[in-house]
Amino acid sequence: MSNPSYRPCGSFQHAIGRRQFMGDFLTGLGAAAGASLFSHPLGAGEIAKHGKSVVVVFLDGGISQFESWDPKSDSETGGPFKAIPTTVPGIHISELLPYTAQQMHHMALIRSIRTDLDDHGLAKNIVRCGRQTRSATEYPELGAAVAKGLERDEFPLPGHIQTTLAGVGGRANNAAYLGPRYAGVVVGAEKGGVVNTQLPDGMTVTADSRRHDWRRFANDRLRSKIRTAEIDAYTQCYEQALRLMERRDLFDIGHEPESVQEAYTKTEFGKQLLLARRLVEQEVPFVEVNWGGWDFHHNNFEFHLHYVNHFFDRPFAYFISDLAQRGLLERTLVVVMTEFGRTPKINVGYGRDHYPNAWSIALAGCGIQHGAVIGKTDAKGIEVTDRQVDHRHLFHTYLQAVGIDSSGEFDVAGRQVPIADPAYGPIEELLA
Amino acid sequence: MTTAATPADEPSTAPPAFEAKATRAVHDWAHDSKLLCCRVDPTGRYVVAGALDSTIQRWEIATGAKSTLAGHENWVRTLGFSPDGATLYSGGYDGRLLVWETAADAPQPVRTIATGHGWLRGLAVSSDGQRLATCGNDRMVRVWSAADGQLLREHAGHPQIAYCVHFVPGSHDLVSGDVIGNVFHWRGDNGQLERQFDGAEIHNLIGDLAPFGGIVNLAFSPDGKRLTACGLHKTTNAPAGNRRAVALSFDWATGEKYPKQESLTKELDGTMWRALYHPSGVMLGIVEKEIGFWKDGEEDAFHMAATPSEIYDLDFHPNQIDLFTAHYDGHVRSWRCAAG
Repeated sequence: MSNPSYRPCGSFQHAIGRRQFMGDFLTGLGAAAGASLFSHPLGAGEIAKHGKSVVVVFLDGGISQFESWDPKSDSETGGPFKAIPTTVPGIHISELLPYTAQQMHHMALIRSIRTDLDDHGLAKNIVRCGRQTRSATEYPELGAAVAKGLERDEFPLPGHIQTTLAGVGGRANNAAYLGPRYAGVVVGAEKGGVVNTQLPDGMTVTADSRRHDWRRFANDRLRSKIRTAEIDAYTQCYEQALRLMERRDLFDIGHEPESVQEAYTKTEFGKQLLLARRLVEQEVPFVEVNWGGWDFHHNNFEFHLHYVNHFFDRPFAYFISDLAQRGLLERTLVVVMTEFGRTPKINVGYGRDHYPNAWSIALAGCGIQHGAVIGKTDAKGIEVTDRQVDHRHLFHTYLQAVGIDSSGEFDVAGRQVPIADPAYGPIEELLA
Repeated sequence: MTTAATPADEPSTAPPAFEAKATRAVHDWAHDSKLLCCRVDPTGRYVVAGALDSTIQRWEIATGAKSTLAGHENWVRTLGFSPDGATLYSGGYDGRLLVWETAADAPQPVRTIATGHGWLRGLAVSSDGQRLATCGNDRMVRVWSAADGQLLREHAGHPQIAYCVHFVPGSHDLVSGDVIGNVFHWRGDNGQLERQFDGAEIHNLIGDLAPFGGIVNLAFSPDGKRLTACGLHKTTNAPAGNRRAVALSFDWATGEKYPKQESLTKELDGTMWRALYHPSGVMLGIVEKEIGFWKDGEEDAFHMAATPSEIYDLDFHPNQIDLFTAHYDGHVRSWRCAAG
């Protein structure tokens, strides 16, 4: 049995580029200079935001809307999967999602997204950032914006955590001008928690403490003479790493009862969701669970049968019900995000290609109308016929749902930068 | 009293000799939905094809007259005939096995069997016509009485989706293949698993999650000494469809593997959705839009016949020189594999 590497379109964007902790941290410094040191959390709506979290389940590559949230069973474009009813009368989703269908009363669907970009890299950029990166301006991703928008003093954990399969730690470069403080910290979801968080063999706690005292002394001495964003960011990252080490048990899903681990299915995806739930319990503002490989130009239906039905549905549905039963869904927004949909046309390899013209996402949890369906596509799923929205509306909506005023501005080194595209606003009728 | 004519007095009715390199197009019949499967009835009167629009299309070969058999509620994936050709069996992604009178003027299902497979993917008819076998997404192989549709036996053991099932020629023994490369030989007398062939080398696991390839179809050589599994291998990018069509044969007696057969000279992305044998021993297989021909023991195809659209199934007319193909573009085409 072979295990060929995954390279759907031959695009470099498909490679999940997780740079190592310090390497990426350094990359982020250029953009951060003069930003993170002087920027401050938002001032308004603090009470409404308290304890809120956002969990993004990013299905990287483009899940098919036909085989998930907007089935067209009776159409020539619909494929072989049928639509099934959900717990919300009148809402049907793909039969590949029978467990999720039982959680629809906690959820909402947006079926009328048109984004126009069909390149993976460009499409991911706009859905993550709510605006398109231009040559002169990069925008922070949603995770960074939420981490900053929901930031609290003395919060012991990173505000933006991305879970990954391999268990390797790292730091993403996705906070743009907000700086590395808000960039994603990448952690694995395995028994045993984050790797490399134990002291090396032979290193005592006392010795380790002395090392850090010496580092702090040297840092403080340097900072008394020179104070730069780079130095502050370095310091911040070291202190954050130490706090992560102190809280390493939090990242060890092996502490969960066996029955809970079983309920989350012990798959790579399930383990990430379980870790996400543990992080939400700690009020981490933003958690992203990333699952790549959804780019089924070929064999679309077989792959969706396995990916959606066999591996997504059960753990995702349990995640939603678990959040609900623990009272966490009242303060957590869950977004099932992807970068575009798939073509109505079934191609010669029984695949579907990239399709940004009419696609869907699902949401659950706080700040949204449960059981809502926003927008509509035509009978074949080719065009949006009602309430067309795009990534800009979505970005505003995510932020508003957790109490962040998306019409506000970030104070970046004294410069006022709109949090989201000021020419757009949220999907008001979706907001609770 | 008239003198009986001798064969020498009559015009020759012997079919022309099979000649792969002489393969040429004969018929081209269109339907407006993509086709997944086709079969020619054993009397040679009809060719039938299963479509994505949930119908079966039936063409009378002599006239090209087309009829629609409606009854399935999802893609029609697999077809089979009784040995006398009077009965057509069809299986679909609605999980149902439908039974039809092949030559009825306005065919309606005469029996519907809910197989419980989810997607019914494989269907076979025993050579004595008494038994039907089906398999599908529930990983099960089931055997049914052709006479009354009663379930006779269930074979559990495939750890993943069962893609195809065939009767061992001249017996009620079965072989079945799954998406992770297992080929199981089930005994017809007691239902026990007799043995297993390992075809895992023609399957991949994508993203550590989804099987890709596996035993897409099975065929026996005319002498019954070789069991051929077909599908794909050399996957470099599964979601983009970069793979090569392949046949992997086993010695039926010993289980020993023969060298794989594929199109080496002409590299094409493809899945060998079906392989079948001509009585001469030449193996035919689907390679994307082309029909490949292989001689016994040769790894590379000695001839490739091009067609206008991706092929998803093929079947011989009982004259063994006319070949019918079902295509992605909704057409059924026929090809004469003979000179003249």
